[in-house]
Amino acid sequence: MFEERWVRNTAWAVCIVVALFTVVPFIWIIGTAFKTAAEINAWPPTLLPVAPTLENFAEILGNTPFPRYIANTMLISVASTACIMVTSSLAGFVFAKYKFPMRGAIFMIILATATIPIEAYMVPLYIMVFKVHMLNTYAALIFPLTIMTFGVFFMRQVIISIPDELLEAARIDGAGEWWIYLRIILYLSKSGLMAVGVFAFSQAWANFMWPLVVVSTGDMYTTELGLAVYQRAFYTEYGPIAAGAVISIVPMLVVFALLRRHIMQGIATTGLKA
Amino acid sequence: MAAPQSVAMPRPRRSRLGEALARMKRNRIGFVLCALGPVLALFALIRIYPIAETIRLSFFDYHITRRRTPFVGLQNYLYLFEDSAFHDALRNTIVFSVLAVITTLLIALAVAILLRSIEKAAPTFELLFYIPVVTPWVPASVIWKWIYDPTHGPINYFLSFFGVPRLGWLLDPVLIVLALVVVSVWKLVGYFVVIYGVGLRAIPEEVLEAASLDGCNAWQKLCHIVLPLLRPIILFTVVTCTIICFNVFAPVYVLTASSQGAPAYDLKVLVGEIYANGFVYYHMGYAGAQCVVLLLFVMSLLVVQFLAFREK
Repeated sequence: MFEERWVRNTAWAVCIVVALFTVVPFIWIIGTAFKTAAEINAWPPTLLPVAPTLENFAEILGNTPFPRYIANTMLISVASTACIMVTSSLAGFVFAKYKFPMRGAIFMIILATATIPIEAYMVPLYIMVFKVHMLNTYAALIFPLTIMTFGVFFMRQVIISIPDELLEAARIDGAGEWWIYLRIILYLSKSGLMAVGVFAFSQAWANFMWPLVVVSTGDMYTTELGLAVYQRAFYTEYGPIAAGAVISIVPMLVVFALLRRHIMQGIATTGLKA
Repeated sequence: MAAPQSVAMPRPRRSRLGEALARMKRNRIGFVLCALGPVLALFALIRIYPIAETIRLSFFDYHITRRRTPFVGLQNYLYLFEDSAFHDALRNTIVFSVLAVITTLLIALAVAILLRSIEKAAPTFELLFYIPVVTPWVPASVIWKWIYDPTHGPINYFLSFFGVPRLGWLLDPVLIVLALVVVSVWKLVGYFVVIYGVGLRAIPEEVLEAASLDGCNAWQKLCHIVLPLLRPIILFTVVTCTIICFNVFAPVYVLTASSQGAPAYDLKVLVGEIYANGFVYYHMGYAGAQCVVLLLFVMSLLVVQFLAFREK
């Protein structure tokens, strides 16, 4: 875009500084997770552990209910991802390929609520769950995460580019609409669906507000909730908490590393929406 | 149901119902209902109804364990004007959001533009900037809580080289807002670099080359070509980032709480107040009124965005 020498030099300098800013705290937490208690409290602080130890991981995985939190979070995230993939692809398919009364209006309403954060409407959601005596259950934790507005929008964009002739040809061969959805649409939109899945999984994994509100006993904690409560409530060693933070970040990094292309494509769509 | 398929053959007395049925069959309305119906029902149940119900609740003295929940009209809203905790929360949230949005977006925009002149290294940098974005808010705050620690934290160690005395970052009502801004910039900047990158890549290279041939320098190209073309994306990012920042809660929850025996300043924010009123004191009607404030704020931003785009 700009070929001038001084622009390129500034670019390198600025990007390296910003990269240090984003990466160093991350290296810091990984380093800390492998430090001994003495080294964590040492002054001056060290970035990387002098004598790496697995003590902190052993502590948080062995002597706290943290493994249970990880299992809970896994379960919730997988269930939520599955639900969102189904609802997004189905709704996206219908909005992309069928004409029905009020289609535009319904789609607009869905889009309009996309950016309204759950914090703004969680009170009635909580009352609803309370009234059916489902507080502190997995169902309650998964329930608000079964649809994703962005997923519907995104899948519609992906499916709209599948040629109509293909669907017509299948219909002439006697295929029903469900068969078309299962065999043609899902197959041809699988890359987009992966992106939606990644967003759904990380959204569920990182969810904090709703578990905080709906969970009341320790056995239903998610990793995020457990981490926040440990950090807040007890006078604890920082080492195990750092190990817990690393455990909670790593799945996100793995998913991101594996599916980077899909994710970037998804973000590009968000940007192009503008 | 023997509805005629062909429209070319006009039938004088075909009923309107039959016609409608035929049209529905052609449009496969049965499938649409079966496929979309459940999704829309779910959507109504977990989005539309709670949003509407929030507004309704805000006019009632709703308490979850009480049987009587009398209608109180605007009383909850009037109390918003008296509640000093709410005023603090609103002021802190606004100050924090303004600082965080401006800092995040300026850095992101500058970095995204600069990345375009080192295109080969751009994907690597974008990846490094993106690590905090995939880090959830809670571990992100846990990381920074320790970085800010007054006695053991590396930030005070770093600043000691410049002769700055140890600062209690999370103890001071002003410093804690700055600390929160830094965490948010750290967490969000990578996302907006990628978004701006999408917008910048869409600008045709020929336009910039033509400008260079006409003797424009980098600064002129930036101000007269790049930024004007980026305007819709900038508006979108301002709205998105403001909504994210206005909802700040998890980092406040982690950073303001005491741990390692070190107390912290109890910074109030809007969502924190909603949480406290709704789920600690169970004054759900009043929490509803605060939710409506949040709702109105988000909606007005979206309306601004919508109107701005419609003009184009």
